[in-house]
Amino acid sequence: MQTLNKISPGKYKILKIETSCKSAQKRLMILGVFEGDKIEVIKPAPGPVILEKNGTRIGIGQGLAASIMVEKIEDAR
Amino acid sequence: MEEKLIILTGNPNTGKTTIFNALTGLHQKTGNWPGVTVEIKEGYFTYEGINFKVIDLPGTYSLTSFTEDERIARDILVREKADAVVVIVDASNIERNLYLVTLLLELEQKVIIDLNMYDIARDKGVAIDVNHMEKLLGTKCVITIGNKKTGIETLKKTIYEVSKQEKQPTIKTNYGNEVEEVISEVEDIIRNVAPPYPSRFFALRLLENDQTIWAHIKDASIYREVKKLVESIYNRFPDIETYLIEKRYGFIHGLTEECTKRIEVMENKIELTNKLDRLFTHPFYGTIFFLFFIWLTFNIVFNWGSPFTNLLEGLFSFTAINLSRVLSSINFPEWIVSLLTDGIIGGVGSVLVFFPNIFLLFFIFAALEDSGYMARAAFITDRLMHRIGLHGKSAIPMILGFGCNVPAIMATRTLETKKDRVLTTLAIPFMSCSARLPVYLLFTGIFFQNHRGSILFSLYLIGILFGLLTAKLFKKTFFKEETPPIIMELPLYHTPDIRNMLISAWERSYLFIRKAGTIIFGGVIVIWALSYFPVSATYAGENSFIGILGNKLAVLLRPAGFGYWQAAVALLFGLVAKELVVGTLGTVFGGEMELTRSLTTIFTPLSAYAFMLMTLLYIPCIATIAVIKQEAGIKWAILATIWSLFVGWLVAVLLYQGFRLY
Repeated sequence: MQTLNKISPGKYKILKIETSCKSAQKRLMILGVFEGDKIEVIKPAPGPVILEKNGTRIGIGQGLAASIMVEKIEDAR
Repeated sequence: MEEKLIILTGNPNTGKTTIFNALTGLHQKTGNWPGVTVEIKEGYFTYEGINFKVIDLPGTYSLTSFTEDERIARDILVREKADAVVVIVDASNIERNLYLVTLLLELEQKVIIDLNMYDIARDKGVAIDVNHMEKLLGTKCVITIGNKKTGIETLKKTIYEVSKQEKQPTIKTNYGNEVEEVISEVEDIIRNVAPPYPSRFFALRLLENDQTIWAHIKDASIYREVKKLVESIYNRFPDIETYLIEKRYGFIHGLTEECTKRIEVMENKIELTNKLDRLFTHPFYGTIFFLFFIWLTFNIVFNWGSPFTNLLEGLFSFTAINLSRVLSSINFPEWIVSLLTDGIIGGVGSVLVFFPNIFLLFFIFAALEDSGYMARAAFITDRLMHRIGLHGKSAIPMILGFGCNVPAIMATRTLETKKDRVLTTLAIPFMSCSARLPVYLLFTGIFFQNHRGSILFSLYLIGILFGLLTAKLFKKTFFKEETPPIIMELPLYHTPDIRNMLISAWERSYLFIRKAGTIIFGGVIVIWALSYFPVSATYAGENSFIGILGNKLAVLLRPAGFGYWQAAVALLFGLVAKELVVGTLGTVFGGEMELTRSLTTIFTPLSAYAFMLMTLLYIPCIATIAVIKQEAGIKWAILATIWSLFVGWLVAVLLYQGFRLY
């Protein structure tokens, strides 16, 4: 298990979103990012982490990325 | 002619503006909605003898009151009872886009789904079975490619048909038996107080703890009863807020699976976006690119704009001189001639000459927005802005402030929350706009010939510092809530549409002209009258009212090292437009030739620096105050004025007194 701000590009599964900011969690969900989802990390830290899910590209600040636990499924192509 | 009302809505980055422009052409204007500072455009088109009025709502992802935009979009939808609501959906990304559709269906709107950017969807490998989707949702679906104007006629025809129909039953999200029971329980109590909202929609928002919906029933007799019920529901389902979102997505997911299929993918465009993103959001290279784009923008704005500005300046002074000659020759009263030439043409003209720069600024701004770059830039600036309690996006309007504060404050409309808008608006007047530059050039040329660059740089830096300090201070005083971390959708990069850029630049700069015609006009007349009267005095001389006022104010300026009536009068003129400070100094010291000599006798390098600081900070110009009032309200406009007067005076005095002894 790793956090989203400390990984290389590739496909991951989101295990847990542990943020104290409820509005951030809701915002992620409204954009279609849920716990248990498979996502592709396009650009890792430093700077914002950019991930893709269902064709939506979402940028997440490093602070929030540190509170998202993920598990690797596949390396980048 | 029969008139029908159509509302356009959809997520950001779905090509909504392009569809709006394609539907209405140039028959559009920025609507004037009381209390609404978000840009809401209205347009018209006719079809089959019916006049369709189209309202273009700000792009939103949902209809809760998470952001100001969402709240406003919801209010307008509820209040206006449109004959059809067109949801622009990014066809390459229907899952996330349909989320808004589920909420619109709960709001019982007559929805038409416009699957836009269908070409990009195909490039990404998505094919949609439109007929099947219509059946599953019970709404009409249309395919369009906005930038190629494909499908617009079909869209008009569908709007026409749907607007004639009665409301049709549609399919709504089912939240599962247990929660459905809970929803009905709440619905039963609030049925009478919910209107104009549909009771199911209202009940769901209560369960989601939506503050504006709760405020709606704050005074109702059933408030306590509802509160108790909802609290008991929270005990039974602690995660109900996120559960509801999940259920909606579950419903959409099933639907999408059934009506889309994956086809061969073209990866090129996505590859390019990936590469650019790695560069543009990188902490180091991204910052370099960001600074480069800003530098390029200002270069274009001033280099391309200045020939037009000079042309306008020439035109205004030519008109003023000739008008004055003609009118004097036919014995017009002298005060009318002075009012027309010195006052109106001189004063309003000095503000209007900025029109070319402002137009260009918004033109490039539209390009940066439309291409997708702006979303990336927000991440670069977020590191600094977040510390102050602002969103990364706030940096862009602040930077625009170096050009002119007026369009910069108008650009705060792109920010999502009221807090960000107000705080950014309050910070912008401290950004050293181009009108302040002539003042610096005059004084540094006389007093700091060998250090012009560093003196200029220090002034810009001090401006930024006070802007950020102001935002931080007012954030702490007036907005206690925590700043949520930055999460933004990043659209694929694409070439901006020239037509959209032109329309956007024209509309925003037109607002500026309208302002010059009203509030600025009024301010100009007041300053003119103070300078002209009493008739015996020379224009803006020591015996004119403004000179007398200047003499009184000079006492206040003495601790800052420039307690002279001439300096005070120049600063009063600076209220109209800051570059007038130089012109006025010229007038009161008896012409350009005398100016340098006079200034060296009454200013020292230290008091000159204090005077430049004062010019930088002391007050927003009339146009800026007017636009703060328009965007944030009278309360903030007054606060910004008093605050900057206080800061400007205090800083100038502290500097002068502090260094005087050395």
